[in-house]
Amino acid sequence: MSDHSIESRSASLATDGPKPIDGQAPLVEATRLVKIYQDKEHVPVTALNEVDFRAAPGEFTAIAGPSGSGKTTLLNLIGGLDKPTSGSVVVAGQDLAAMSRNQLATFRLNNLGFIFQAYNLIPVLTAEENAEFNLLLQGVPAHERHEQVVREFEDLGIDKELIHRRPAKLSGGQQQRVAIARALVSRPKLILADEPTANLDSKTGARLLDKMRNLNERTGITFLFSTHDPMVMERARRLVILRDGQIAEDDVRG
Amino acid sequence: MSILIKIAWRNIWRNPRRSWVLITALAVAVFSFLGSVAYIDGFSIQMIDSAINLQGGHIQVSGRGYHKNPTIRTYVPDVARVERIIAENDAIRYALQTTTPGMINSAEQASGVVITGVDPVREVEVSSVAESIIEGSYLAPEGEANEVVIGATLAEQLNVLLGEKVVLMANDLDNEVSAGAYRIVGLYRTNSSDFDKTNVYLHLNQARNLIGYTAEQASTVTLRLDPGLDPVETAIHLQTTLDAADLEILTWHERSPLLVMMNEMMNLANIFLVIILFTAIAFTLINSFIMVIFERIREIGIMSANGVRPGQVRLMLYLEAVFIVLLGTAVGGAIAVALITWWSAVGLDLSAFAEGLSSFGAASVLYPYIHWGHILNGFVMIFVLVLLAVLYPAVKASRFETVDAINHV
Repeated sequence: MSDHSIESRSASLATDGPKPIDGQAPLVEATRLVKIYQDKEHVPVTALNEVDFRAAPGEFTAIAGPSGSGKTTLLNLIGGLDKPTSGSVVVAGQDLAAMSRNQLATFRLNNLGFIFQAYNLIPVLTAEENAEFNLLLQGVPAHERHEQVVREFEDLGIDKELIHRRPAKLSGGQQQRVAIARALVSRPKLILADEPTANLDSKTGARLLDKMRNLNERTGITFLFSTHDPMVMERARRLVILRDGQIAEDDVRG
Repeated sequence: MSILIKIAWRNIWRNPRRSWVLITALAVAVFSFLGSVAYIDGFSIQMIDSAINLQGGHIQVSGRGYHKNPTIRTYVPDVARVERIIAENDAIRYALQTTTPGMINSAEQASGVVITGVDPVREVEVSSVAESIIEGSYLAPEGEANEVVIGATLAEQLNVLLGEKVVLMANDLDNEVSAGAYRIVGLYRTNSSDFDKTNVYLHLNQARNLIGYTAEQASTVTLRLDPGLDPVETAIHLQTTLDAADLEILTWHERSPLLVMMNEMMNLANIFLVIILFTAIAFTLINSFIMVIFERIREIGIMSANGVRPGQVRLMLYLEAVFIVLLGTAVGGAIAVALITWWSAVGLDLSAFAEGLSSFGAASVLYPYIHWGHILNGFVMIFVLVLLAVLYPAVKASRFETVDAINHV
């Protein structure tokens, strides 16, 4: 990906219609995205205001900004976890707004991986079962699942002894590794990571980020991070800054 | 699917205390249901057996109109032909009877009775009176002596003893009063005290002599069928083969509509019992499952984010409910079947209610009976009720907005 100035990038984002990014069809294309919430007193709060955002396949992008700037909301909308008030989100050529709940679930299963701040593993499943959760839903045969999970665990440095432990018996770093394995194991097109390092110590966080960046380089899986963490921003090849529900900066690095 | 089964099963044991409360409640309900169904079925079977054993077998052949107006003028014509046709089926046992209302007189008392003439050899195959003899013996096969068998209760009422003589009086075919002295050779006691007070038995020949019947005449032919034979189908078949417009062929259902109605009412009571018991359980389940889903909102959100469809969320909760029901029914069912099997062998002594039970034709010792068909119906109803109960929480869980669920604290 070549260098772009923030200005030229912002100009390209502002234009209408799907545009190739450096000759590639965009993997994510959010157009004039608006999300308005109602707070507890039923006062409307604009989380995203006419945001245009595109991401090409293979990007390793961090979306940063102060609390309440709309970064998690943007990730949720891209992941089909939430519906925009207006605007459209097209991921892998699919318009998410046109999908039913079932179609969205199937789309997420086959195209997306999620990594959450709080790991969010299923407590009654072991590390291995959590990691192979998406593969099980996809109906992948047992031996293939096992091979893929073992490979992923090796890549992420998860000790073999841990595979039969339930999340409650794992440390935060171990849980997040398993969560990353779950997101990666089915080789989705896009991984959405919401503050993945927020609950980790800096050493563990850095190690996991390096692993993810390495995976991104090896596999071409697109990563979108929502983050406050400077470590994530340092490692991202593109940094999008959101402020008050709008893209304030969009910096593509080398 | 397999992962949902795994999650559902393990979810049950996340809060073992709550699950065991539910399982115990279900087990108690299942035990109560099975116990009462077995009790009612046992009671019902004893009443039906009593009706079949003492009052006309599975099928009764008589002259047309006899059932509505049982007089000696309505008899089975050409009884030898009827006997011949019935005898063609090896699975049917039969016996002839003459029946007439009459009086029994002792030295001290008199009482109105039904005087039944029987062939002692054949009668034992269709009636249980011979088995109910508690003193003396049944009628001699030859029928030469003037012998009578009466109920022990009637004997007490008449203040007569075994071996003493009583006088039987009845109207004959010519409407003349006919009487004879008979020696009491046996006293019987059945489940029904009313029956014992009103039925006396003579040899068929003696009874024919008393009322003026020839050897070609009988009031009824009582048929007892082997277990594989259906009374209704057999009655229809006999209707065709006997082909006599002046014959009436009735099954016990037709002769005892009150008994049939009571039986149906008891089955209906079973259904109400299931509904009441399991509606209470259903509300407990609804309550528990609402708690379950509110405890797991975040988890459901995570599953949804990872591609679990709303229908699969519902399925997972249904599976949890089914596992709990299976465990509850297994525990309750096993205890109930063990106890009922034991009770059905030794009997349930209800002698405190003997008087009331006797008037229904039921014994004071009741033998509960496991009718698998009724139990299966009950289990189907339990499952339907449980699935209905879990419907609301399951639908609610499947409709959580994923983003709200994930962010739920």
